Amino acid sequence: MPSQFSARVDTNRDLGGGYVVLEFAAEGGGLGDVVAGQFAMLRGDWGRELLNPRAFSVLWSAPDGRFAVLLKAYGRGTTRLVASQPGARVTVTGPLGHGFAPPDGVRTQLLVAGGVGLPPLHLQARQSAARGHAGVTELYYGGRNRDDLVMLDDFAAWGVRAVLATEDGSAGIRGFVTAALEERLVEAQRSGEQVEILSCGPTPMLAAVRKIGLRFEVPTWLCLEEEMACGFGVCLGCAVPVHGPRPYLYCCSDGPVFEAKQVRWP
Amino acid sequence: MTAAPRTAAIDPASVDLRTRMGALELGDPILAASGCFAYGQQFADFMDLRRLAGLSTKGISPKPRFGNPLPRICETASGMLNSIGLENVGAEAFLAEKLPFLRELGVSVWVNFFGEDFAAYVECARLLEAGRGQGIAVLEMNISCPNIKKGGIEFGTVPEVAHRLTRACVDVTDLPIVVKLTPNVADIVGMADAVAQAGAAGVSLINTITGMAIDVRTRRPRIATMYGGLSGPAIKPVALRMVHQVATALPGLAICGMGGIVSGEDALEFIMAGASCVQVGTANFARPDAALVVVDELRARMAELGIASVSEIVGCIRPIAPEAPQVTE
Repeated sequence: MPSQFSARVDTNRDLGGGYVVLEFAAEGGGLGDVVAGQFAMLRGDWGRELLNPRAFSVLWSAPDGRFAVLLKAYGRGTTRLVASQPGARVTVTGPLGHGFAPPDGVRTQLLVAGGVGLPPLHLQARQSAARGHAGVTELYYGGRNRDDLVMLDDFAAWGVRAVLATEDGSAGIRGFVTAALEERLVEAQRSGEQVEILSCGPTPMLAAVRKIGLRFEVPTWLCLEEEMACGFGVCLGCAVPVHGPRPYLYCCSDGPVFEAKQVRWP
Repeated sequence: MTAAPRTAAIDPASVDLRTRMGALELGDPILAASGCFAYGQQFADFMDLRRLAGLSTKGISPKPRFGNPLPRICETASGMLNSIGLENVGAEAFLAEKLPFLRELGVSVWVNFFGEDFAAYVECARLLEAGRGQGIAVLEMNISCPNIKKGGIEFGTVPEVAHRLTRACVDVTDLPIVVKLTPNVADIVGMADAVAQAGAAGVSLINTITGMAIDVRTRRPRIATMYGGLSGPAIKPVALRMVHQVATALPGLAICGMGGIVSGEDALEFIMAGASCVQVGTANFARPDAALVVVDELRARMAELGIASVSEIVGCIRPIAPEAPQVTE
């Protein structure tokens, strides 16, 4: 069950490339058990200038109440959070939403990540490895250049194979990560291997992953982001267009993980 | 040269927060606002809902509505724009699935409602009349949402139309109807007077102010419907001005004030401007128990200022004292 609590920035770790990991120490139990893909709403002591908390996918959450998020400065809220120093107070609401399913032991999970979309897949890989599923978990990770690819050591430590792609060729293959994904799907098709795709990243990447997943008829799960005011199903701001009886579902309370075939994108 | 009244601080526990909105009695003057509190259930994870004096539901229409394309919201300086599109479960599902939960809370339940045309408003009031005695205390008639097309704008902006609409709805229900007015008019007093003359039990002031924000990178509006409703602290001065104008011009009319209330002091300003009670809206998104925080702060602030009861300060403000005449020679 989600709760709202106070936390303090414990460490602000610069990963290069504009990426920052903020680790928090919670007052109280913190987020507790978090499913990969679940998120928390964070708000600093921002007075009245910035009203609403910002949504962040949880990178990890420990039993002692500590947890972390990955972020980059983009707008007014993230800029302030990236600059926050140890000791800075934040109000946290979470964990919120529904995350990815764990590996079922049959299908290989192909984790497709881009940019600040890494955390849910990082957490999925961590949890899968802890359950002995590292061998059926693979990371496909894309960025503009090598600075966009962070925390690669973790995947190596967990024994999760990582396929990298950069637009400038500075790490891994040159081009989009979706090209590597397609090759992998062709291979799986040929060998009859059962796979599924779990993805989080920039919307153009997710749109491409969705189309590829549909084309290869592979179960595909997208972890989406929409602008949210509350994060718990009240403001109705984070509508996601879907197929089915209702035209919209909500990123915060119905997602943020949606099946690709359900999402009503062009 | 206006000195503050000299009063000694009093014990916060002795502050009497009770208030009356027309015939309606409230344990304290702070309610949660429509559109910012859904139908209440989601908040049960975060707060004791029974501590609320009351709440206003998401706007209900006769039939369910699914809402607008996205993006639907964006944050602006000290505020946010929204164009949700009045998404709601519809009157029938509200009465069957949402009202029983609210009734159990024992708080003052205000059901915000609207229709897509004149007949639909009346139909909705008629349907919700079935909730009288089932937990509904007030029907809050929204004649002001900027996010509905179909010529709905004139319900909230043309006094004669608002009068006829209010009268038609008052005629089909014995529940008190509080009309929520839009600030997007030239003459707020004229609108308030029109609905009061039609039998409204009071007015809610104000709904959102129509606004716009642009993403210069994409050269597109930040809201899919181009314009949205601005809420949050950015609109508080406008809301206060309108509450004061209506309270001054129509002293007998009960007013529920709203617009950017985040703190107890904000609430106090609205009460002093002439509101008998207030609603906390946008603040609920950042802090689900925002209304309860406002109540606690209001009590503490009143005690500091030596104010013993809400009832003694509704509309208490006085003009700044005039300057002394200028001697020219």
